[in-house]
Amino acid sequence: MDHNTYIPKLAKIIEIKEEVGGARPIKTFRTQFLSTNDFSFRSGQCAMLSVFGRGESMISISSSPLLKEYLQFSILKMGRVTSSLHDMQVGDLIGIRGPYGNSFPMEDWKGKNIIFIGGGIGLAPIWSVLNTALGKKGDYGDLMLIYGARTSQDIVFKKELEELKKQMPVHLSIDVEEPDWKEFVGFVPQNVTDKKPSSKDAIAVTCGPPIMIKFVIKALEELGFKDEQIYTTVENKMKCGIGKCGRCNIGFHYVCKDGPVYSWAELKKLPQEY
Amino acid sequence: MEKVLLKKDFPQWVKKLESYTIYSPQKEGDFWNYEVTKNSEIIDLDYLNTVLSPKKIVFPQREVLLEFSTSDEDELKVNEVLPEETQSIIFGVRPCDAKALTLTDKVFGGDIKDPYYWKRRNSTTLVGLTCNTPPSSNCFCISVDGSPHSKEGLDILMTDLGDKYYTESFTKKGDALLNLGKALFKTPTAKDKKDLEKIKADSKKKIKRQIKETAKIPPKLKDMFDSSFWDEESLSCIRCGICTYLCPTCHCFDMNDEVTSSSPIQGERVRTWDNCQFPDFTMHSSGHNPRPDKASRLRQRILHKFQYFVELYKNYQCTGCGRCISKCPVGIDIIEVLEKARDHGS
Repeated sequence: MDHNTYIPKLAKIIEIKEEVGGARPIKTFRTQFLSTNDFSFRSGQCAMLSVFGRGESMISISSSPLLKEYLQFSILKMGRVTSSLHDMQVGDLIGIRGPYGNSFPMEDWKGKNIIFIGGGIGLAPIWSVLNTALGKKGDYGDLMLIYGARTSQDIVFKKELEELKKQMPVHLSIDVEEPDWKEFVGFVPQNVTDKKPSSKDAIAVTCGPPIMIKFVIKALEELGFKDEQIYTTVENKMKCGIGKCGRCNIGFHYVCKDGPVYSWAELKKLPQEY
Repeated sequence: MEKVLLKKDFPQWVKKLESYTIYSPQKEGDFWNYEVTKNSEIIDLDYLNTVLSPKKIVFPQREVLLEFSTSDEDELKVNEVLPEETQSIIFGVRPCDAKALTLTDKVFGGDIKDPYYWKRRNSTTLVGLTCNTPPSSNCFCISVDGSPHSKEGLDILMTDLGDKYYTESFTKKGDALLNLGKALFKTPTAKDKKDLEKIKADSKKKIKRQIKETAKIPPKLKDMFDSSFWDEESLSCIRCGICTYLCPTCHCFDMNDEVTSSSPIQGERVRTWDNCQFPDFTMHSSGHNPRPDKASRLRQRILHKFQYFVELYKNYQCTGCGRCISKCPVGIDIIEVLEKARDHGS
């Protein structure tokens, strides 16, 4: 009999970092498998996390596959499972199965400049691909990050972003003015228009709320980016992770299996139902 | 292998199959359903179509996937729970329902196979029955590449010739069953063969309902995604979901944890049939719902069966059993919806 993909492997939470507090809290979890780690993944892929007794939730892996010591997930507290995860402590066990889905076609991007554009928790999937590109810097051209959140309190990876500024241009934004905020004020798509990244030999990767993605794509098109140069990730409710339970489909595509990474050229051909 | 079996010998054959778990259509009140049959019982093959298809035997409505528990030492354990190893026979499978299993095979197969489904599927032998007369007034198999005597998905096809069954075996699993009844099976005469051909030819003519020009529908649907057609067609839907629960090809499922003790934690992860006609089916935990209304959900049901599945596997994901038409409480009729779609805007 084939390997049973429905059975999660046990993993220990080795570190929990509170990224964002308040009404929309985000925590970053680092996990290590109890048994030998044969979990190999590519940037962009997701994993199905189990809180036994509560259920499962599909979460993007925010660490780079270059990093072997742990898997990292940055999780917004939202439903039953993510709320239970937020209640967990270092040392607690969760289940992990996967990885599922496709990944960013980073092989095809060699030699190109990459502009990462994220909003809110959308920095989580970007974080993996960004750090992979950073880790293999010689393979790629110039890297840039444009990232925004509702308020300065909602920005994730604050410390890491400050560090990142030493290695690549990082343009942050918040939606409305705050007293000590020195960077851009406005929505992420406006910041893209403001920073005018060049479309020449470039790839843009954008993850965030659907409405943000829609307007980021518009802004990128105005800057001369072609559909094939723009990549994004889609999320839908998932249960199985292998294209069988039937709920995450967009047309004949199952996001869990055929996604979550799409070029805009691919995504615009599918029914706009996500 | 082609043989004939006298009807009076049928119970004796069934007796020889004792080592198997046998399912057959059984009547309860006004309805037929596949249930476990004791060998001594006489299997009545003069039945109308069952409410649920035999899908429920290889893909049960509820099944446990795994168990989890915490020991006194605070150790969390997760155990795989695979179906028991049982060889089963399903008697009286309608050709439409057998074909439906070949379609769910595609879904549960592929690169990552579903071990629960295949454990049952591989240990089940399907013995079909030609529909000499349609078992439902809403049968339309011939409109979706099917036939009342199709062998697709079947191990054995039995055809009622009056006092005997013409029995055709197409697989090793089927041959094994015939071999167990060896002496009871006779070589068919020329007349038997002639009778069989006539019954098979007539069976198609007796089907009253059909979709005309089905092949025109998938390309047509592709251009109708944003049409108001779906609003109109779904107006009467009360989102009860009976259409997909009874569908022999629908495979969507949910997975949830059922807990018997919360401290220490103990419970099971359970898979249950789910339904694309329910709002929760696609609703994100944020409240965002890609298919927020009845129109988008009816569209999903129709497009999945007559566009997406065709794009993926070159088959309609419908075998024309008519259950969704017969049981819809508000009279939504998939044949009418498809024919209206075909003629939409022309």
